[in-house]
Amino acid sequence: MSRRAELWRALGALCETPHPSHAPIAEALGLQGPGEAAGYTEAFVFQLPPYASIYVGAEGMLGGEARGRVAGFWQAVGITSPPEPDHLAALLSLYGALDEAEEHEREPARRVMRREAKAALLWEHLLPWVPIYALKLQQVAPGHFAQWARLLSDVVLAEAACLEGQRKLPLHLRSLPPWEISEASLEELVDALLSPVRSGILLTRHDLVRTARDLGVALRMGERRFVLKAMLNQDPDALLDRLGREARTWVVRHRALEGDIGPIARFWAGRAQATAASMTETLATLRHAMPRA
Amino acid sequence: MSRRPSLDELAVRVSAAHDEVVARGETFYPGPSRVHLAAFPPTQRWDDWVELDSRSWPERIERRYMLVPTTCFNCESACGLLAYVDKETLQVRKFEGNPEHPGSRGRNCAKGPATLNQITDPDRILYPLKRAGERGEGKWVQVSWDEALDDLAARIRAAITEQRHNEVMYHVGRPGEDGFTERVLATWGVDGHNSHTNVCSSGARAGYHFWTGIDRPSPDHANAKVIFLISAHLEAGHYFNPHAQRIVEAKAGGAKLIVVDTRLSNSASHADHWISPHPGSEAAINLSIANYLIQNDLYDRDFVRRWWNWPEYLASEHGHAEPTFETFEQILKELYSNFSFEFAAEESGVSAGTLEEIAKIVAQAGTRLATHSWRSAAAGNLGGWQVSRTLFLLNALLGAVATEGGTHPNAWNKFVPKPIYSPPHPGTWNELTWPLEYPLALNEMSFLLPHFLKEGRGRLEVYFTRVYNPVWTNPDGFSWIEALTDEKLIGLHVALTPTWSETAFFADYVLPMGHSSERHDVHSYEQYDGQWVGFRQPVIRTARGRSGEHFTDTRETNPGEVWEENEFWIELSWRIDPDGRLGIRKFYESKEHPGEKLSVDEYYGYMFEHSVPGLAEAAAAQNLTPLDYMRRFGAFEISKKVGRVFDQEVPAKELDDAATGEFGRVFTSAAPPESTNIVPMGAPEPDSEGRRPVGVEVDGRVLRGFPTPSGLLEFWSKTLADWGWREHALPGYIRSHVHPAKLAEDQMVLISTFRLPVHIHTRSANAKWLDEIAHTNPLWIHPADAARLDVNAGDLVRVSTETGFYVVKTWVTEGIRPGVVACSHHMGRWKLGEEGQGQMMASVTLDGKDGDWSMSRTKGVGPYNSTDPDTQRIWWTDVGVHQNLTFAVQPDPISGQHCWHQAVEISKASEDDRLGDISVDAGKSREVYTRWLELTRRADLYSPQHTRRPVWMMRPLKPVREAFSIPEQRR
Repeated sequence: MSRRAELWRALGALCETPHPSHAPIAEALGLQGPGEAAGYTEAFVFQLPPYASIYVGAEGMLGGEARGRVAGFWQAVGITSPPEPDHLAALLSLYGALDEAEEHEREPARRVMRREAKAALLWEHLLPWVPIYALKLQQVAPGHFAQWARLLSDVVLAEAACLEGQRKLPLHLRSLPPWEISEASLEELVDALLSPVRSGILLTRHDLVRTARDLGVALRMGERRFVLKAMLNQDPDALLDRLGREARTWVVRHRALEGDIGPIARFWAGRAQATAASMTETLATLRHAMPRA
Repeated sequence: MSRRPSLDELAVRVSAAHDEVVARGETFYPGPSRVHLAAFPPTQRWDDWVELDSRSWPERIERRYMLVPTTCFNCESACGLLAYVDKETLQVRKFEGNPEHPGSRGRNCAKGPATLNQITDPDRILYPLKRAGERGEGKWVQVSWDEALDDLAARIRAAITEQRHNEVMYHVGRPGEDGFTERVLATWGVDGHNSHTNVCSSGARAGYHFWTGIDRPSPDHANAKVIFLISAHLEAGHYFNPHAQRIVEAKAGGAKLIVVDTRLSNSASHADHWISPHPGSEAAINLSIANYLIQNDLYDRDFVRRWWNWPEYLASEHGHAEPTFETFEQILKELYSNFSFEFAAEESGVSAGTLEEIAKIVAQAGTRLATHSWRSAAAGNLGGWQVSRTLFLLNALLGAVATEGGTHPNAWNKFVPKPIYSPPHPGTWNELTWPLEYPLALNEMSFLLPHFLKEGRGRLEVYFTRVYNPVWTNPDGFSWIEALTDEKLIGLHVALTPTWSETAFFADYVLPMGHSSERHDVHSYEQYDGQWVGFRQPVIRTARGRSGEHFTDTRETNPGEVWEENEFWIELSWRIDPDGRLGIRKFYESKEHPGEKLSVDEYYGYMFEHSVPGLAEAAAAQNLTPLDYMRRFGAFEISKKVGRVFDQEVPAKELDDAATGEFGRVFTSAAPPESTNIVPMGAPEPDSEGRRPVGVEVDGRVLRGFPTPSGLLEFWSKTLADWGWREHALPGYIRSHVHPAKLAEDQMVLISTFRLPVHIHTRSANAKWLDEIAHTNPLWIHPADAARLDVNAGDLVRVSTETGFYVVKTWVTEGIRPGVVACSHHMGRWKLGEEGQGQMMASVTLDGKDGDWSMSRTKGVGPYNSTDPDTQRIWWTDVGVHQNLTFAVQPDPISGQHCWHQAVEISKASEDDRLGDISVDAGKSREVYTRWLELTRRADLYSPQHTRRPVWMMRPLKPVREAFSIPEQRR
C-alpha cells in the first residue's frame, strides 16, 4: 500500500464525524488528541462545511454545477460517484486511491495516465479551494481541527509542488462570470459576498458575530444571508467599510499562496481585490436603493 | 518544542499505525469508505479474520474465521460468495460477497447470503433414499450410496451394451457448471442431455443465434449511453446482480434506461422510460424504432454495408435487382416502412408519441446501445424469438455490436477451460429430446417428454432429474405425474437434489447433492466485456485443507451423506465400466497415477494449470499452484475489453489453401489455432472440399467474422428460409397467440413468467429469510378490471385457462395494464405427505381419475418443530398457488420455446372454491399439444440436406455428423 496514500486517507477520515477509532489516526498524524464532537460541529457544520461546491460554486451553496463537475471527475476515472462527491473526505480518499493505483501500475503508459488523473484531481478540484479553506479553518476551529487544517494545507501544497501543475486556471474558476457589483441589488450583493469564489473572501458565521460585536449592531439570528442583510440595513457604512478591509486582508492571504498555486492564487486575489474596490461604490448605490428599517 | 515530523515521516507513521490495527483484525478507518461502496476483509487476512459476534452484543466477543470463497448456486449469475468458516466449530457462520470475483465484485442479492439457510435447512435431504412403496406413495428407506450406485451402474451398463443408449437421460435445471455433465454423457456415448431451456430462454436464444451464430447477448451496460431492456433484468433477470450494478453505474454516468415490461417491475421503477405494452407486441415496438432509424438514415451505413449479409439476401430474394448496397438500402426502407409508430401504437397500446421519443433516444446512442432480452416476451409468445431478433436489429443498425457500451455476442465474453479429457461426440440421436418436428429448436423439447413417452416414441430406463423440478416448473405438470408414475415409460427415476421437490416425490432414488458451499464446479458467464472463470468449492473441505487435512471425498466434510456431483459422476462412470471394456473408464483415470480413479483435485488442478491463460503466472506470483489460487480467491479474470473479435484480421498462416465462397466466406485447410477455450458457438460447415470456415472477406481483407454460415451478421437467415420458414427469414413481427385479435371478449392475458427478486424457482424455498420476505403469489389486476369484475384486493378469483382453472387471491394494482393479469411463479409449492419442505409447501390432496385432475389444499404452512427454532416462528400460512399445472404445452414451432402467456378468463370464485384449488382436464391438455404440434414444419419434409437439424447450429451435447442424417426410410 502506498504510504502517501495512507496519509491522504487519514486526513480524509478526520473530517468525518468524530469516532473513537479516530484516536490512533490522530496520534499517528501527531495531532492533539481526537477531535471533540462539539468542536467538529462548530468547525464543519456551523462555520466551514467541507464541500467543494460551497467554495468554488458561483452560488456559494451545496450542490449545483460545481458538484456536478466534481461528480463528473469521479465518473471520468471510472469510480462510482458517492452520494456526496465533493465532500472533502471523499476527495481526499479518492486522491489516496488514485495515488495507490499509480504506485501499483506496472505498465508505464497507464502509470502516466494514472498520474495525470491524480494531477487533475489535485489542480481541478482540491487546490482551487482547499488552501484557503484550510487557512480559514485554522482561524475558527478549536485546537485539534486547526492542527488538522494546518497539516492538510501542508500536504496539499507539498503535493502541488511535486505534481507540476497546469498553468491553466481550473474549470471551476474559469467558468465564473466576472465580478459585477456596480448595478447590484441588495440581494445580489449579499449573494455575491457569501459566495467565496465570487467575492474572494470566506465569511463564516463566526465572522458575522464578531463583526456585529465590533460594530455594535444587533445580531439577528438566522442563516448567514439573513444576518448579513440585517446588518447592512442597520449600518451599511460601517459594515461595507469593514467588508472592504476584510477583502483587502484576503488579498494579502491569497497573494501569499501565489508561489504555491500561481494562477489560482492570483484569481482569488483578483476577486478579493475587486470586492474591496467596489465596497465604496456599492455603498453609494445601495444608500439610494436600500429601504430603511 | 519538538519539530513536527516531515510529511514523509508522517506518511510512514500513519501507514504503520494502519497496518498494526488491521493486523489485529480491527478496523482502522470507521464507517464505509467514500471511494468504494463496501469494505471487504483484505485477502491477506482470509486465513484468520476476527469479527465481533453479533449475537453476543453488547458483549464484545471475538470470533475467528477462515474466509473461503465459493459461488452462489441459486440463479445463473454465479456471484462470488465468501464463506465465513468459524475456526472453532468449523461451521459456516455466514456468507458475504467475494470482492475478488470480477463479475459480482463483492456484491450479492438476498439469495447469496441466504445460502446459509439452505445448508442449515432442517428439512434438507441428508442421506440417499429409495422408495419403499409405489412411486409417489411417499414411503422411503435410507440406502447406502453403494447400493444406489451399483443399481444405477448396472442399469446404465445394460442399456449401453444392449444399444439402448437413448433410454438414459439426464434432465438438468440450473446447470451451474460449464459442460462437466455433458462430457460425462459423451463418455457413455449417449445423447441423453435434457435441459430446462425450452421453458426458459430458447426463444431469446433463437433470435440471437440466427443473427450471430451465438445464442446469448452480453450487453456492456456499464459503458452504455442507452440501455434498452425488455423485461426485468435489473432485479430478476440474467445476470441480475452483476448486470444491475453495472446498469446503475451507467445511470450514474448519465445513461438513459428504457424498460419494456407490461408490469411495473423494480426495473421499470428505475427506468427513465417505462413502456408497458400489450404482451406480445414487443417486436412491433422494436421494428418501429428500427424503421425510424432506417427511414431517417440514422443507421451506421458503413457497418451495415460491411457486416450484414445483404448480398446473399439480394441474390436469393431479389435476384433481378442490381446487387449493390444502394439497392439494398432502398429495399430495406420498403421492408420496414409499414412499421410506423402508429402501427406499433395500435399493436402495443403505447402512444405513438412515446414510441417516437424512445426511438430518438435510441438513435442518439450510436455504438453505445446496450440491449437485452431474455425470457419475458421472448418466452411468453408465439414467435417470441422475433423479440430478441428485432431487438438485436437495433444494435446491428447502429453498429453497436461488440463495441464499448454495445451488445456483444456472449461467446467472446466467456471462457470455458478445456478439461483433462475431451470425449468424442456421441454417435446416437435421441428423438425424445430432438424430434423431427422441431429441427430449429434451440434446445431440447424437454417439456414435451411426457407426451412423447405416452405416444410411444420411446421409453427411459434411467431418468435423472438434477436440480430440476419438471412436475412443478414445466407446464402441464399432471402429464408429468402421469409419466413419472408409469414404470413402463420410466424404468427408474433418480432425483439428484439437495432438497425435496414435487418431482422428487415421484422418484425411485433421491440422492442428496450439495449446495453451493458443498460442491465443485467451474463456470464462466458473460457479465461485461471480459472473460473470467469462477470456482465453486466445498468450503469446509477447503478450510480443513488449509489446516493440513487432506480429503478425496467431499462426503467426508459435507453434512450427513450429502455428496457432490463431480465425484458422484466419476464414481458412477467407473462402476458402469469397471474393467474399461466399454471405453468409458479411461476418461476417469488419473494421469498422475495411471490405473487409479481421477480425483477432483487432479481434474481441476489440470484444468487450471493448462487451460486458463494467465492463471499459472498469477498463482506463481503468490507462490501458489493454480488450483490453490482458485481455492483461495474463487475466481480469476482472464481478459478485459475483448471487443470486436469479428473485426480482427485472420493471420496469413491461417489462410493456407484458402478459398473464398460466393458471398465472401473464406475457407482454409490450415489447422485451427490452439485454444483452451471451448466455449460453445455456431459451427458453420466446411466447404465442399473439406476446408474449414476461417473468416469472411470484407473490403478486401479477411476478417474473423461471425460463426454463421455466411460469416456475417445474418439479417436474412438462409437457414430459416431453407427449412421452410422463408416468411420469417428476416427480423419481423409474428402476432402472438395472445394477440388481442385472438382473444375472446371475456379473455385477458395472463403473464406467469415473472420472478420475484428474492426467489429463484423452487430452489430457494429452503431459505427461511427469503420465504419470510416473499411466500405467496397473488394475481395482479388493474383497478379498472377489478371494478368490472367486482373484486377487491384479497378476494379469491378463479383463473380459467384452456385446460382448467386455479383459485388465487387478487392484488389490485395500477402496476399492470388493464386487460392483463400477472401471477409470479416460485410459489404454490405443495406436498402430499409428511416428507417435504416445511416452510413453503402446503399439504394437498391430489385426485386424478380418467385424466380429470384436481388438487385441493388441506393445510397451509405454519409453525413446526425442527432443529431450527425459527421454524416455530413461521407466521405465514398462504404459500400461493401452483398455476403452471393449469397450462397446456404451447411450443413455438420454430424456436421450440414454450409460449407461457395464457389467454384466461377471470371470474369471482364460487362458494365452493378454496385458495389453491386446481382442476385440469388432461384430455384437453393433449388436444392443445396436438394443435400446436400441427404448426410445425418437420425436418423429414423440409430439411434441405436430409439432416435432422442444421448442422451448424448450436446444440448441447452435439452428436457426430453422421447422427444428424435422417434415415433413408424416414425421408
